[in-house]
Amino acid sequence: MTQARELDAAFLAGVRAWAHGSALGFADEAIFDRHARALFAYQIDHNEPYAKFAAARGFNRARLPASWTEIPAVPAAAFKDATLATFDVREAELEFHTSGTTAAQSGKHYIERAALYDAALLAALDRFMLADRMNLRFLNLVPNPRLKTHSSLGYMMGHASVLRGDGKAAWFLDDERLDVDGFARALRAAIADAQPVFIAGTAFAFVALLDALDERRAALPAPAGSRIMETGGFKGRSRATSRDELYARLETRLGIPENAIVAEYGMTELTSQYYDAPTSREHLHRVKSAPPWLRTLVVAGDGRQMRDGETGFLRHFDLGNRSSILAIDTEDRGYAVAGGIVLLGREADAYPRGCSLTAEDLSA
Amino acid sequence: MTEQRIDAIARTCARWRTADFPPRRRAARAIAQRLQYTAPVVDLALDRLFGSITQAAIEATIVDELGSLQALDGFVARAGRPCAFARGVDNVLIISSDAGIGVAIPPMVFALCAKAHVLVKDRSDQLIAAFAKTLIEEAPEFATLLRVQTWENHEASHEAIARADVVVAFGRDETMHAIRTHCAANARFIPFGHRTSVCYIPREALAHASEAYDSARATALDALLYDGDGCLSPHAIFAQRGGALSPESFAASFARACDEISAAFPAAANDLDARVATYRDRMRFRADALGVGAVHPGTNGPHLVVFDPPREEPPPLLPRTIGVYPIDSPEEMLAYIRRRRLPLEAIGTTPQPSADLLNVFLASGASRIAALGRLQDPPLAGNHGGYKRIAPFTTIAYRDA
Repeated sequence: MTQARELDAAFLAGVRAWAHGSALGFADEAIFDRHARALFAYQIDHNEPYAKFAAARGFNRARLPASWTEIPAVPAAAFKDATLATFDVREAELEFHTSGTTAAQSGKHYIERAALYDAALLAALDRFMLADRMNLRFLNLVPNPRLKTHSSLGYMMGHASVLRGDGKAAWFLDDERLDVDGFARALRAAIADAQPVFIAGTAFAFVALLDALDERRAALPAPAGSRIMETGGFKGRSRATSRDELYARLETRLGIPENAIVAEYGMTELTSQYYDAPTSREHLHRVKSAPPWLRTLVVAGDGRQMRDGETGFLRHFDLGNRSSILAIDTEDRGYAVAGGIVLLGREADAYPRGCSLTAEDLSA
Repeated sequence: MTEQRIDAIARTCARWRTADFPPRRRAARAIAQRLQYTAPVVDLALDRLFGSITQAAIEATIVDELGSLQALDGFVARAGRPCAFARGVDNVLIISSDAGIGVAIPPMVFALCAKAHVLVKDRSDQLIAAFAKTLIEEAPEFATLLRVQTWENHEASHEAIARADVVVAFGRDETMHAIRTHCAANARFIPFGHRTSVCYIPREALAHASEAYDSARATALDALLYDGDGCLSPHAIFAQRGGALSPESFAASFARACDEISAAFPAAANDLDARVATYRDRMRFRADALGVGAVHPGTNGPHLVVFDPPREEPPPLLPRTIGVYPIDSPEEMLAYIRRRRLPLEAIGTTPQPSADLLNVFLASGASRIAALGRLQDPPLAGNHGGYKRIAPFTTIAYRDA
């Protein structure tokens, strides 16, 4: 068996163990650490840019990190500048592109084996979103994967809709245009069928939907057991709203209680996702939890690790990223708490002042 | 009479040139509090602002644009044309931006010279109000012409905009669009929206290390003053290959100069802006993993110099962040500016650019070509944003011969 296959097999076994409720697996510090460092060694062997990056930070085959926390993290934006893959990307089973709001080029995340992505996705979705029931009707306010073939969010919901839905999934976002009437019809049909729905969408799509429903003075109380997965996504949009306001409006218009509205946090550059921890969904500050193969350190701008409760940037270590980069630095800010992280989002755009210019101005 | 007005304005500015002048001291503290700039930066800004407003500069501008000072006081003869009177418009509204120090004062000075009624929307530091008070002390007649207000009430803003014959506004492009919609149909609108500046270092300036450092130091002053805020702050420096010193060496030299300038004019905040940190990390990745470019973080302040940033993107339009781009020719710079659609206010360069080089600069769309180290010190008699200074505040009445 090749090294890649061995790593994949170990990863999939860890995912299965967690999915079946085993206490063993990546929740164990030693097991996570061993797998992460083996993955790092593999990645510097098969990914030249990453090997050079790591070498500049003093790590190579002869000097591996002593702990997973020392593994050099690549900035997420580096996916725009380099092909970060351990394999010939022409063989990629999945290829996801970042939206690229400020740079001319978008980043590309190549995934050699879809099986890893699918397993990680479904195990976490089952645990955090579908623990009480399956066979919901998926109404998707995210890009349709048949139209946006490189959208990780579209792929994710496409896969979930097929494998966890009732067979009547529908899509209502086409090139940023929201089909409100189509959505309303689909939801009315679900209400008539007493079929609970799983509505997935970006925060911006939900705002647009609610604005349209407000105009129509339409309230569509979804059947009991329905839920919403909100995937963030206000960045660069013309209208922002607070999460509390958004969730309150969703509850009013769609009859889905706030504790059944769950924020998912993921990145194109990651294989795995965070979700609002079930135990925190009644609280003001929701804690994000991830499956145990995704761990996060909170670091200062100089890379120094912060203590629990101290705000910093999020550095993710995703064992599912076997064929790209395991450790990724983000612009997202948050702090660590017992059981996960509290996500604060990105720093407010305070610059520039005066008649100067931002990159956002040029890309608008 | 115009001459007396100019004299009063010049005398007032002379008072404000003294660092110990109590209104200036109070305003400087308020500005530092509002913008978080350090005291040396605020003092330099005020020195430059009031140092530029002299009797000679005002008179030269008026004479150049209107033919004579007397044209503002009555009909004057014009060679080959009917005699004319540059009569000031009735109402001028000047809306300061949240940033910049005293940006409203130059247009206010010229609008007053034109005898227009001027309303200025001031910022919380109330620099304009303090200046207006001292101006009225020098010439009480200004009390009937000049009003300075701070207001957050949108309705009041809209009414003032609708009443104005000329609206001068500074700020974000979205703000400019919003203001324009409230202007009267025949009002003149002079927007100072978003722009940026660049510097060009020809290979001749890189012939000797010491001269190159002089250029680097001057450019560093331009780039780091006001933390890179404002349209006169360069975020891209184009260094030409072929000199004794390579552009890469110039970038290293420029980074050292930034350290030196940072000591004299410290940053508003000691911590690196989060987006600058992200950009730095990405550029380090490019340098370390791909062998492209180089990164020079500040050693004594939160600034960042990146050699050879990605050409597929705009320059790093972030606080105290500057990209140094190696180029073979000025046309390469022009191609980049056009490709990235950079709206330029100014280009800084070495003295005496050739005619060919000037043509390239003109083609870039920049309205000003300045000496390195002087970008942040625009002359009053210049044309900020490419506009005339006093002509927009007047309408020409002419009398047939």
